Amino acid sequence: MSRSLLLSLLTYVLLLAGIATVHGGFLALALPLVTYLLLGFLQSADEVRLEARRQLSIERAIPGQDVDVTVTVTNHGSGLEEVLLEDQVPHGLTIRSGHNRHLVRLPSGESYTFTYTVSGPRGGYAFEALEAQVNEHLAVRSAMVRVEVKGWLFILPPLTRVRQIAIRPRRTRVYAGTIPARAGGPGTEFFGVREYQPGDSPHSINWHASARHADKLYANEYQQERVADVGIVLDGRQRTNEFARGHSIFDYSVQAAASIADALLNQGNRVGLLLYSTYLGWTLPGYGRIQREKILHALANAKTGDSQVFGDLEHIPTRLFPPESQIVFVSPLVEEDLKPLIQLRATGYDVLVVSPNPVHFELSYLPGSNPNVDLAGRVLHMERILLLQRLQRANIHVLDWDVKEPFDLLVKRRLGRTPVWMRSMRR
Amino acid sequence: MTTVALILSILLGTASLAIGYGQAGAMEYARWFLLLAGVWTFAHFRKWYGFSSIALILVIAAAAYGVWLEYPAAWMLLGAVGGLLGWDLSDFSRRLSAASPMDDTRTMEIRHLERVGIVAALGLGLALLSVFLRFERLAFEVAVGLLLLAALGLTRLVVGLRKY
Repeated sequence: MSRSLLLSLLTYVLLLAGIATVHGGFLALALPLVTYLLLGFLQSADEVRLEARRQLSIERAIPGQDVDVTVTVTNHGSGLEEVLLEDQVPHGLTIRSGHNRHLVRLPSGESYTFTYTVSGPRGGYAFEALEAQVNEHLAVRSAMVRVEVKGWLFILPPLTRVRQIAIRPRRTRVYAGTIPARAGGPGTEFFGVREYQPGDSPHSINWHASARHADKLYANEYQQERVADVGIVLDGRQRTNEFARGHSIFDYSVQAAASIADALLNQGNRVGLLLYSTYLGWTLPGYGRIQREKILHALANAKTGDSQVFGDLEHIPTRLFPPESQIVFVSPLVEEDLKPLIQLRATGYDVLVVSPNPVHFELSYLPGSNPNVDLAGRVLHMERILLLQRLQRANIHVLDWDVKEPFDLLVKRRLGRTPVWMRSMRR
Repeated sequence: MTTVALILSILLGTASLAIGYGQAGAMEYARWFLLLAGVWTFAHFRKWYGFSSIALILVIAAAAYGVWLEYPAAWMLLGAVGGLLGWDLSDFSRRLSAASPMDDTRTMEIRHLERVGIVAALGLGLALLSVFLRFERLAFEVAVGLLLLAALGLTRLVVGLRKY
């Protein structure tokens, strides 16, 4: 019950009692209440007009990084005796220092500024509004005002810089890039020998081959390097990512997807992202920095989910990816994924599987001294090795990532392109 | 500061009623008022702020019952004003508890206590005047003049308080 209602009820009861009993004492008792109510109403603000401004020290952060939120509230209406300001902190963010709620007096035309620090896990956080509860001194009338102040804070997945990722899809795009295009032309890597054509550089003449033929010259041909279409599929299925005791390997998958997308976009490729979870989250393919931002934002909001439809990989919409392009599948993998992945490979896509190792991940937090855990770990490990071998036999490149190892080191070791001078030494 | 004022208000309200009832010979009720003071204080420290509304209703009802039984009116009025102050300060404490440690609550407390003190004094003064001043015959011109004076005084007071 509101304060004014309670006082009004008591006042009316006393007044009615006074009238009914023709006793002045009841009216006298009602007088302090009437005075209180009257002064309360007269003191209440004529017009509540608040304006708020919110500034974030940074709008893109990494998980756990402190972000300062500064809120300035200006009163453009009549003076307010007692205002409880509360900035609505998005769910998931934690206040590290300072306070988002302040009780202040705001005379007309004056401002009040407060700062607090938040941090949180990966995600996109929308700051919506600031709420102000306005009271006069006696709080007879109370008004709740919601001041809209929109703002976004993106806590992006930690990005491990990967310099080079060597992929070789069957089909490339027409623009020059770094992916070997399986076609002769200008490039750096030797592709073959053909008859010398007028206009060819004399430096390209293969003197060894030409020496065997008295009347003809032969020239070296190099492999063209172009950009490619790459589709990154991030597996967000709950059953593959979530483990006992609330542990999740999904953040590692997100980190891997972010690093791969960043590296491939830096190489000039056209990259799209498909989040395969409760729903299909599709980020249209694109080039460059804007696409990188789009993908990072999509990854920031990526969550695991459970779905009857997307419980297995049968429903990966392959039509989203250009034929014979490169698909990077980021997933901890389960046994049932083998068949759909082989089918994907069979339809002509070049498939690279980046798989954060769930067995090592689970064993890292389970008690190591328990023989049952050891045995189960060994069995699971063998099963996983078998699964990966079967994938490799289907000509699918698999990157088994023990998440204790930095991702960039693994990529450099397994997917980094060997410099040309080193390749020539090997030959 | 508010807590001290709150406890004093609770004591003022309940003790006044107890004295008033005691003076009229109803000592058995007086004990109940002291119990109410204890429970109200306990509820406040337990942050059961909703209890202050119940306490206010009880105090006003007790004061009204006392007035009905022709117990000393001054004590009954003091009891009602004490209950009103206690109820107000209890809610003010609740509002203050939402403030952050860096807020200037001390100044707000001082201002609130001054305001609510003025309101209580005004309410009590008017009530006591209405009880003790009795005019057997009042000329119409005098009554109108007094009414205008009261309206003017009240307006000035409100304007003054709003500037303050």
